[in-house]
Amino acid sequence: MKTKPKHLRHFYDFLLTVAILAIATILCTLLRRLDDGSGYVNLIFVLAVACISRWTEGFFWGTFSSVSAVLFVNFVFTYPYWAFNFTITGYPLTFLAMLTVSIMISAMNTQIKKQEKLRLETEKEAVRANLLRAMSHDIRTPLTSIVGNTAAILDNEDSFSPEQKRRLLEDVNEDAQWLIRMVENLLSITRMSGGQAKIEKECEAAEEIVAVSVSKFTKRFPNIQVTVEVPDEVLMVPMDATLIRQVMMNLLENAAIHGGNVTQIRFQLSREGSSACFAISDNGIGIPKEKLPTIFDGGLSGVSHNNFDMKKNMGIGLSVCYTIVKAHGGTMTAENLESGGACFRFYLPLEEGINSEIEG
Amino acid sequence: MKLKDKVLVVEDEQNISNFISTVLTANDFDVLMAQTGAEAISMITSHCPDLIILDLGLPDMDGMNILKEVRSWSNLPIIVVSARTHESDKVTALDFGADDYIEKPFGTSELLARIRTAIRHTRTPLDNGEIAQSGKFTVRALTIDYDKHHVLVDGQDVHLTLNEFKIVALLGKYAGKVLTYDYLIKQIWGPKAKADNQILRVNMANIRRKIEKNPASPEYIFTEIGVGYRMLENEA
Repeated sequence: MKTKPKHLRHFYDFLLTVAILAIATILCTLLRRLDDGSGYVNLIFVLAVACISRWTEGFFWGTFSSVSAVLFVNFVFTYPYWAFNFTITGYPLTFLAMLTVSIMISAMNTQIKKQEKLRLETEKEAVRANLLRAMSHDIRTPLTSIVGNTAAILDNEDSFSPEQKRRLLEDVNEDAQWLIRMVENLLSITRMSGGQAKIEKECEAAEEIVAVSVSKFTKRFPNIQVTVEVPDEVLMVPMDATLIRQVMMNLLENAAIHGGNVTQIRFQLSREGSSACFAISDNGIGIPKEKLPTIFDGGLSGVSHNNFDMKKNMGIGLSVCYTIVKAHGGTMTAENLESGGACFRFYLPLEEGINSEIEG
Repeated sequence: MKLKDKVLVVEDEQNISNFISTVLTANDFDVLMAQTGAEAISMITSHCPDLIILDLGLPDMDGMNILKEVRSWSNLPIIVVSARTHESDKVTALDFGADDYIEKPFGTSELLARIRTAIRHTRTPLDNGEIAQSGKFTVRALTIDYDKHHVLVDGQDVHLTLNEFKIVALLGKYAGKVLTYDYLIKQIWGPKAKADNQILRVNMANIRRKIEKNPASPEYIFTEIGVGYRMLENEA
């Protein structure tokens, strides 16, 4: 409902208020046929006000309905019927009580709604802060190495052999590449949190995005052979292509960097029910068993234990993948293959009805 | 003495323009550098460079303005440098007449390849000299026969539909250049066609099934995510 334009929202709230008050009125009219008393009238209207303040936005409609309920009850359901009369003994107090109760309920409801919203925001903020902390921490390691290596070359220009210099420069290059990957992940996250956590999806041919990721990967890791399998059917998947490419790149690079002597990667695209399945498997050493259960939040919950080299930490890349896939309404799994090696799969929902052949 | 091509680098980050200039000088280009938009415009008119490398984020003006300004009187090749996440910038730049774009961060080989392609494109009299002469475009095992309206792979007709042929023919005519989704859709389905990329994607998937050995590792037509398609160019 938050996506509705403002005036539409107001109109909707107005209709709801009128409808609930009407239902209360009809109920009271029907009940009065059974019994001439009026004790239930006030209670029913208080309930109506409670419902209105729960289901509408802001403070206004709750308060508005409490006031109108009090006037309405006086006008319709209190003797003399169909006339305002505030002078009958005891009645002003009844109405005052009713008004107070209604307004209190409506105020409390508003308060609860506000707190709920705040809690959600705080939670989101905490995840983002954790991620940022983890990343900033990780960024320091390669930066130290870059500064150290380049300073060493600058200070010892004449005494280092060309081979020594080359080796140091290769390290610098590798660290810089790593930083680029980290920044791409950061950018992906800001891209998602920018527009109200809603991502802009467009229908893409899944195989195209696979092809782009694989060709970019092969340029960086020419020694790893990647075989790609796609179905005959063209799978059109609604997605933010840049983000999904990021997921694929992270998974491919993880296999290359953390897989342990990976020489072959298989990238299979297939249809599974109403989802497109992207499976990336390698022939490396697989994922340590103890890491499997928490693999997708590894980088976040495990910030405190620095028992392994941060540069080897694949948690952040994976949790970014997981976040992106989840934002697309998809799921992600990780497992070890019987033949050895790891297999990561992610599923994205297909849009139905357009996966047929369209001849222009 | 060999005549060198003159490249103007418009970039406000000193480190990056130094790096580009070093690489280009080492590869036999004359390099001019401008750090602001105003400086760039005056240098373009006074030095007439053979190619411009233009960063879109400049301190004094939007790089897009320089692009429009230059295009109002000249066809000289312009390569736009942009950050990765802004697909719309690339598309806008291409629509305003940029010849190509390159994403930051980029490597030297990529930069040099783009520069050579862009210069070669403007040196050929028609959009593609080879097609003008022989009515055919050939790259590796792929031949587009413009007179007979068919496409051959390894000498075999791959039986494209009319629209599929139109797409391939257009990409072949501008081989090496990115054609945006919008441009392709307007050229094939007419100016009133919706900017609905889906039909183009599906056609492209069908084309790839016919001309590529493995549609998921294409050899001839490459996807530029969020921007468009690019046909492999002859390195001749």
